[in-house]
Amino acid sequence: MAERRTIEVGALARVEGEGALHVTVEDGEVRDLRLRIYEPPRFFEGFLQGRALEELPDLTARICGICPVAYQMSSVHAIEKALGITPDPATRALRRLYNAGDWMESHLLHMMFLAAPDFLGLDDGMAVARLHREPVERALRLRKLGNRILSLLGGRPVNPVGVCIGGFHRAPTREELSSLAEALRAERGEAEVLLEWFATLPVPRRPQDVELVALRHPDEYPMNEGRIASSRGLDIAADAFEDTFEELQVPHSTALHSRIRGGGSYLVGPLARVTLNRERLSPAAGAALERVADRFATPDPAASVFARGVEVIQAMDDALAAIEAVAAAGPVRVPDWTPRVAEGIAVTEAPRGLLAIRVRGDARGDVEHVRIVPPTSQNQAQIEADLRALVPHLLDRPHEEMQRRCESAIRDYDPCISCAVHFLDLEVERVPS
Amino acid sequence: MRIQVVGIGTDRGDDAAGLRVAERLAGRLPPGVGVVACRRPGPDLATALDGVDAAVLVVAVRSGAPPGRVQRIAPEQLPEARAWSSHGLGLVEGLALARALGRAPARLAIVGIEGRRADGDARSREVERGVDRACACVLGIVGELRGEHVAPGGG
Repeated sequence: MAERRTIEVGALARVEGEGALHVTVEDGEVRDLRLRIYEPPRFFEGFLQGRALEELPDLTARICGICPVAYQMSSVHAIEKALGITPDPATRALRRLYNAGDWMESHLLHMMFLAAPDFLGLDDGMAVARLHREPVERALRLRKLGNRILSLLGGRPVNPVGVCIGGFHRAPTREELSSLAEALRAERGEAEVLLEWFATLPVPRRPQDVELVALRHPDEYPMNEGRIASSRGLDIAADAFEDTFEELQVPHSTALHSRIRGGGSYLVGPLARVTLNRERLSPAAGAALERVADRFATPDPAASVFARGVEVIQAMDDALAAIEAVAAAGPVRVPDWTPRVAEGIAVTEAPRGLLAIRVRGDARGDVEHVRIVPPTSQNQAQIEADLRALVPHLLDRPHEEMQRRCESAIRDYDPCISCAVHFLDLEVERVPS
Repeated sequence: MRIQVVGIGTDRGDDAAGLRVAERLAGRLPPGVGVVACRRPGPDLATALDGVDAAVLVVAVRSGAPPGRVQRIAPEQLPEARAWSSHGLGLVEGLALARALGRAPARLAIVGIEGRRADGDARSREVERGVDRACACVLGIVGELRGEHVAPGGG
């Protein structure tokens, strides 16, 4: 006799935005699985048309309260490509510093308040704070440094506005940078201690056959530049993003799904970056990775929390290196530019993975067209594939556990539904026939 | 006793009222009384309350009162903390986190300034006047906390 079960999570918790999960299982097989993103579309691409190009970094930053820098970086680099501007070395270094601050803030918030409760069997970040005060205090101190970097270069930590075409509206002073470097050096060891704490937690394992996609740069850990590489040998120029990846509309989501043209779903984010750029990690981040190396032997989205921990160390080392590079590079010079009809695409690494923005400017210097492909929409199809493989293993478990495990798997991707549009409720239907 | 004044808000419209109070009070508070602006009142509020004995939080509110009205809010009047997503961390969640970390100050006062609109760059005129009244209110509370007698109309 056929048995039909439906799992329904009406509103997913501890994710960024509003979404739900619906699963129908029949005769032990997943018949239907939909990550439903029901947050209303935000129409950014539409209302950005006709705005001045120089407004784009500030406006796209409003897409996300957690990773505004990524939107500023992809949009400003796309504009600069269109206008034929090459930022000077000081600007380039400051942008790495800025990105590092964003990664720190985003990763630490996710690790401590959204992910840790899953590994500890607790309801929320408040419970983690009550029972594990020391690691929470450590994460807060480190996060504050990320916040400081955002304030320094963005003018303020929320809805930052510091980026302009070719540079920054205000360059930090030598004193501001050296005092920041001192603070970073003082806390750097703390990031290693934090990762060690996470390594003691019972983080589940969910290895799977998935294509990992990230930027790769010849000399550096990737942030704003590089080619797009994958664990299955893809290696293309960032300009070829749209020739290689395509977006599809699905009825159950207000965010578009992505796939490799002629291929399947893929995973972007810290796990892909760390796996594809191991040899570009700083000595300290590389050593930290070694200590959790067994979690990176096969692609495992559940190991993402360790990738984030490694990247916090990397971001601090990158921030310090960037501050040195700024000092060596001399003053920031913001180039003049003249409007022209031209198009540019840039792909940068947001905390959650590849963020592609294509901009076409017109002869007046206004935006004629803009396309934004955020990391969470790229990960959606992969999240569904992950759950389709996971659910059959959970069928004999109580409903509540099944739901918790599904939600936890979704959180491994740190989905930002607000960016993709927004995110999650779980529905599991169990209908005996 | 270490007293911290925390001006909470964003830079949008009347929601900036708490931030303006913090700016206005910088340099006007007695020695040993700190003042900070807090634009992310979740984890950052817990950070701002570290090692503090008493705190005065100033924040724009929407209670149905006329715009610009300044009122003292008892901590028990605050709504319950909501489930966490990092896009939704506010004053209530920040206070809950501070409590969980054992950082909630023994004495806590909250000053609310009724806002009209939380968009655009400008503040409503009524709220601008509310900022003045809130500054006076905070100075009064700081005096109380320090055990000073505040003469009516004085200060």
